[in-house]
Amino acid sequence: MSVLAVTNLTKRYHRGGKPFAAVDEVSFDVGPAETLALAGPSGSGKSTIARLVLRLIEPDAGRIDFEGANFLALSGAALRARRARLQMVFQDPLAAFNPRATVARVLDDPLRIHGIAPRSERPHRIAALLERVGLDTGLAARAIHEISGGQRQRVAIARAIATRPSLIVLDEAVSALDVSVRGQILELLLDLQRQERIAYLFISHDLGVIRAVADRVVILDAGRIAESGDARAVIADPQSAVGKALVAAMPKLIRNRP
Amino acid sequence: MKRLRRFLHTPEAIAGAFILALLLVMALTAPLFFPGDPQAIAGPALLPPFQDWSLPLGTDRLGRDVLAELFHGARTSLAVGLAAAAAALLIGAVVGTLAGFAGGLVDEALMRITDAFQTVPSFLLALAFVSIIGPSLGVVVAAIALSAWTGPARVARAEVLSIRERDCVAGARVIGMHPLEIAFREVLPNALPPVLALSSVIVAAAILTEAALSFLGLGDPNRVTWGGMIAEGRAVLRTAPLLSIVPGVALMLTVLGVYLAGEGVVESTAVRRSLS
Ligand SMILES: Nc1ncnc2c1ncn2[C@@H]1O[C@H](COP(=O)(O)OP(=O)(O)OP(=O)(O)O)[C@@H](O)[C@H]1O
Ligand SMILES: [Mg+2]
Repeated sequence: MSVLAVTNLTKRYHRGGKPFAAVDEVSFDVGPAETLALAGPSGSGKSTIARLVLRLIEPDAGRIDFEGANFLALSGAALRARRARLQMVFQDPLAAFNPRATVARVLDDPLRIHGIAPRSERPHRIAALLERVGLDTGLAARAIHEISGGQRQRVAIARAIATRPSLIVLDEAVSALDVSVRGQILELLLDLQRQERIAYLFISHDLGVIRAVADRVVILDAGRIAESGDARAVIADPQSAVGKALVAAMPKLIRNRP
Repeated sequence: MKRLRRFLHTPEAIAGAFILALLLVMALTAPLFFPGDPQAIAGPALLPPFQDWSLPLGTDRLGRDVLAELFHGARTSLAVGLAAAAAALLIGAVVGTLAGFAGGLVDEALMRITDAFQTVPSFLLALAFVSIIGPSLGVVVAAIALSAWTGPARVARAEVLSIRERDCVAGARVIGMHPLEIAFREVLPNALPPVLALSSVIVAAAILTEAALSFLGLGDPNRVTWGGMIAEGRAVLRTAPLLSIVPGVALMLTVLGVYLAGEGVVESTAVRRSLS
């Protein structure tokens, strides 16, 4: 059974007075401990899908089932409680945290909100989370803006796994990092997936990264699914025009590697 | 220290800070220099200033010590001005944050209420409020706050509207934070700077409104106020004009000081922001 099943999801916006579908009848599913990648050119609707799946915005039509239950039927306290199982990592962790917060507070919030540990125990939990993502526990007292971009993204991952989710949505989570740091973060994500059996909805415009981490890929074009399938197979032999264009934009070296 | 030096980099800010410091000293030392009731009779009535050095500014129509009244009046003006402004900023920030963050019907309702308060001239509102409930320091503070919170509410709402689209609010929702906690812990603190920039204008207006209410006899009768002193002096305006002029000048200087110091603060934070 899949962790996440999205059926005919549609979101319309208005552009210049006329309605247009940013996400148009999109269906896909993500299995347990699987990585499904969403790829596509800028404006193809990737972030909109992420926000819909996280209930940050509401769809105009379609269905979202999460862990076998209708996710769109939840509201209020029930929805907030369910959010423990479905987390997100943003592209820019500096923007995604309260700029005044410390690392400790950023990690304390989910533990407190979901009642995961009593107050006295939370400092240990926070230290354990920091260690889990490969950070020094001394970082807890630092302000968010006092640590490096790579460290910050590790903190974002620690916050996402704090509530033991079954699915994490990563919207361009490694795009802003430089290449060496990017590799380390991807390693960490794969390691977490193996150990905690977390599924990822991995959004990226970089097919090289997708090829390295994803099991399957969905390629979007103007809100619609252009093609989907096994990540390596699709990247090796794209069928759609957008798929071909995205592959053509990849550096040759990565494309031809076995 | 650096902040203070940057704040004091214009002559206006220095003047404002000096006046405010003087006022603060007057307010704080009033019970020290002039213990006892400032409204008690201290000497012969209508003693002119600089005649008797135990009563340097002379006495008023009833023989009360004008200098003592001036010091104790500073206390009232400052206390009422600061308390009313703080209350107005608090109400405004809370209402503006709720309206901006909740959106929809809540926003509509709160902003219509804000409109309603704004269409009534604020002084009339304060006047009506005090005359219905009766003059006491608390009521005066409430009346002034009630007539001054709409500005901060609008500014807070506008700021919140832009902040609520940020990723940090999305991030807080994703971890299941309660909307009220998001509004007041994540959004409000980040929306405060432009709201606080209004405080000097609001404090100045609050001090003036308090004086005007007292002038009309709607101040707390158990407190000396500058407005009340001006009103008292009116009866003997021809023979002893200083009785009105002295508190009037004090009031003017205070408002000027608050305004100048406020400008200095706004300017120095603007410098800091453009530097960072
Ligand atoms: N709130 C909004 N109002 C109107 N249009 C929107 C809104 N959010 C997104 N859109 C439009 O929907 C389309 C899809 O946007 P989306 O952010 O999902 O693209 P994306 O695939 O994430 O692109 P990128 O790779 O640049 O991040 C775009 O045309 C965008 O302009
Ligand atoms: Mg995007």
